[in-house]
Amino acid sequence: MNDMTPEKKERSTLAKWSRRGFIGAGVLAGGGLLIGIGVRPGNPIGSLAPKVAAGEGEQLINSWVKIGADNIVTAIVPHCEMGQGAHSVLAQMLADELDAAWENVRVMQAPADGSYVVTDTARMFVAPFTMNAADWIEPTWNGLFTQVARLGDAMITGGSSSIRSTGQHSMRVAGAAARKMLIGAAADSWGVPAAEIATRDSMLFHQGSGKSATYAEFASAAAEQPMDQTPTLKTSDQFRLMGRSKPRTDIPCKVDGTAKFGMDAVPDGLDLSYAAVVRPPVPGTSVTAMDASRAKDMAGVLQILNMGDFVAVVADSYWQAQQAINTIRIDWSPSDSSIKTMDDQFAAFAAALDEAGETGGKEAAAKGNAQDALAGAAKRIDAEYRVPYLAHSPMEPINCTAHVADGKCDVWASTQVPLMARSAVADTLGLSKDAVAVHQDYLGGGFGRRLGSDEMAMAARIAKATGYPVKVVWSREEDTQKAYYRCADLCRMRAGLDQQGKLVAYDSVFTQRHDPPEASVPAMYSIENTKVRVAEAPLHLPFQAWRSVDHSQQGFFVESFIDEAANAAGADPLEYRLSMLAAAPRHKAVLEKVAQISNWGEALPEGRAKGVAIVESFGTIVAEVIEVDMASGKPRLSNIWAVCDAGYAMNPDGFKNQIEGGIVFGLTAALYGELDLKDGAVVQSNFHDYKMLRMNEVPNIEVVLINSGDVPVGGAGEPGLPPAAPALANAIFAATGKRIRELPIAKQFA
Amino acid sequence: MHRSAIIAASLLTVMVTACGSAEEPEVVEQIIVREPGEPEVAATPTGADGEINPVALGKDAFQMCAGCHVNEAGAPSTAGPNLYGVMGRVAGGVEGYPYSDALLASDITWDEASMDGYLADPAGFLPGTDMLAGAVPDPDTRSAIIAYLASTSE
Repeated sequence: MNDMTPEKKERSTLAKWSRRGFIGAGVLAGGGLLIGIGVRPGNPIGSLAPKVAAGEGEQLINSWVKIGADNIVTAIVPHCEMGQGAHSVLAQMLADELDAAWENVRVMQAPADGSYVVTDTARMFVAPFTMNAADWIEPTWNGLFTQVARLGDAMITGGSSSIRSTGQHSMRVAGAAARKMLIGAAADSWGVPAAEIATRDSMLFHQGSGKSATYAEFASAAAEQPMDQTPTLKTSDQFRLMGRSKPRTDIPCKVDGTAKFGMDAVPDGLDLSYAAVVRPPVPGTSVTAMDASRAKDMAGVLQILNMGDFVAVVADSYWQAQQAINTIRIDWSPSDSSIKTMDDQFAAFAAALDEAGETGGKEAAAKGNAQDALAGAAKRIDAEYRVPYLAHSPMEPINCTAHVADGKCDVWASTQVPLMARSAVADTLGLSKDAVAVHQDYLGGGFGRRLGSDEMAMAARIAKATGYPVKVVWSREEDTQKAYYRCADLCRMRAGLDQQGKLVAYDSVFTQRHDPPEASVPAMYSIENTKVRVAEAPLHLPFQAWRSVDHSQQGFFVESFIDEAANAAGADPLEYRLSMLAAAPRHKAVLEKVAQISNWGEALPEGRAKGVAIVESFGTIVAEVIEVDMASGKPRLSNIWAVCDAGYAMNPDGFKNQIEGGIVFGLTAALYGELDLKDGAVVQSNFHDYKMLRMNEVPNIEVVLINSGDVPVGGAGEPGLPPAAPALANAIFAATGKRIRELPIAKQFA
Repeated sequence: MHRSAIIAASLLTVMVTACGSAEEPEVVEQIIVREPGEPEVAATPTGADGEINPVALGKDAFQMCAGCHVNEAGAPSTAGPNLYGVMGRVAGGVEGYPYSDALLASDITWDEASMDGYLADPAGFLPGTDMLAGAVPDPDTRSAIIAYLASTSE
């Protein structure tokens, strides 16, 4: 290797980026240094210290860890906690590399500050992408990616990415770097070689001299040590916390009720008023007339606002505001959309697919020649699948508290994208980003619903109009009927089998392709001729990523259709899949394991049957077997097994929780989830007509994890979902012979 | 597919979906009733002669029901059925509302006695009802609510 290898060139460019990046991000000269500690140029703690290290005697070691005088280690986490457990596991990863005592580790939500853009962490600490790999560099990290991240205010919690990106790229590296700085400080002080100093449980030890010290004792001195940009990380055999099912740090406060969610925000010194809102029932329409004659006389009412695109009532309490707004008569402008019902929506999809025909549309993936192979196939199957619109329905209602005063705006919000919320508020009010502060606590569920910033912009406008602080709360009906949605879609699929039943041609065409781009491609299966096409068609309801995004419908389309192919071939559906996975050993192992734990192939009582599906999403391979009982004529879930390979599960219990949650979320959608349209407006309004799967409907779920080792670590929050619907639909087919090509399922057996 | 490209594409999707309008829309109409902290002119549930008006009392008390029910002619049902005209009506009478089997099979015509019994203990009065919240323990409050419901029934 010489100096001109692309790898080294990348690295040197990256090092320059790091320094410029942080200076450019706004290191404020002399910005309130803590306890008189000097800050090295290029080290971001100068600007960040005042924002995160407020306690007495606390010293910021680097951007993601601080150590207090009481030897408490605080992990500063740039992701939100919305029930997925990321805060806790990210702290576990940092603490392990730091050799911190777990019981003295705390978690702090990073402020919504540009320095915590998730890719800054990657840019600053060039971490190995794989678990145990050496210091190679992902080439595209540098330019495009970081710029995209910064432009997009990418302090994002989504894409099942917290552990595999921030955890692997920054929390671990920050922990390892901080440990090295502590060792360096102790070595200088004790006059011993750094290599002879050991660390354990937030303590430093030197065996030769018998010296020992807490981390806190060297915290200040450590901040003056050089910061290693690429510290050596532990290998999995050295882990003490990673790979362990440490209890989540956010559970006790959620059990005893002290946890604070965005909805609980009562900012110090502010007397809050409360607002209810009504948005247009049909997207894109606006208020043409408002009759608030009754609302004006109702108890508690302070103001009634016609904001053009919505109406708000501000009152002494939320309840009074909601009661008053319920009495307001609003006329809305006519909608331009020709889609008034779901029949209209599916007709628009069908028209786009008709136009694309057998070969048209945008190519999403292609291998071989699917059209010719279909023509020459011994056996052909064709099918059309459809899915409805779905709401996210997070338990914590959509809300935002805002205060606009002195040319500044503070918002308290539950958001997956605090920096985008900040930009949205700044743009709405015509303020600079620096004049807007976004504060956040725990989120009561997200599922993608909190990737938008409408409620923050609306709250800011209301607070500006009133001049006093207002907490805006959307009713459940507002969120169910007037928000953003998992798209509906229609998908036409064709397959060709040869004389032996082998799948030799596969073609699918659908109208909605959002993210991830590979979701619609059955890439793991060895099919010689594959074509995947998109024929775009308009959505009447606005789209927003919904747990697992495109995988939520594509998992159902692809894995149901593969099951149809197995049936056409007269093969066992699990064996049929295995026969196509020779080149995908991890997928094969996952499928074999789920066959084993579910006792696939066993004789079952009359009316019962099992279905299988396997989907790789967000870096994790998940196979599920669902056993359904159709004896009553209606589907009843009787058993669920799941096997997952995420490379390495950082917290196995937390990982299993996420898979279980994804399965239940997916089965809720599969059995019940559906939004109807009437006159262009969503019909369903609340949980009585937008049903959730209940405790008594969910059987035992057994989840087994495979740590297949030195591969990129996969996500946990979403990958449990995509196989759930097809596994259930395939089980129903096995039990009844009725092929499910449309969701939701329950009403088809009513 | 290259890993970073996938992640970058994901970010772009989020960005696109998160881009809202950037203008500051004008407030079309602002009705200021009073400022926070100022006392309101209280509406009293008494008539001109000082007599307590049970319908007005019941209308106030109905707030506790309004989480699930509306009481307005022609308004769509919310979580619970629209109660406009409920007194004197056969139980389960709002067309299209998904009543419990128990309520549909009950053979009740709502009068003061049956409504009072139901509101006192919904699940005890009608086992299998979906109205799991809504017990009104205070008999005077119940009779006020019933008076209010009667005032909006034929």
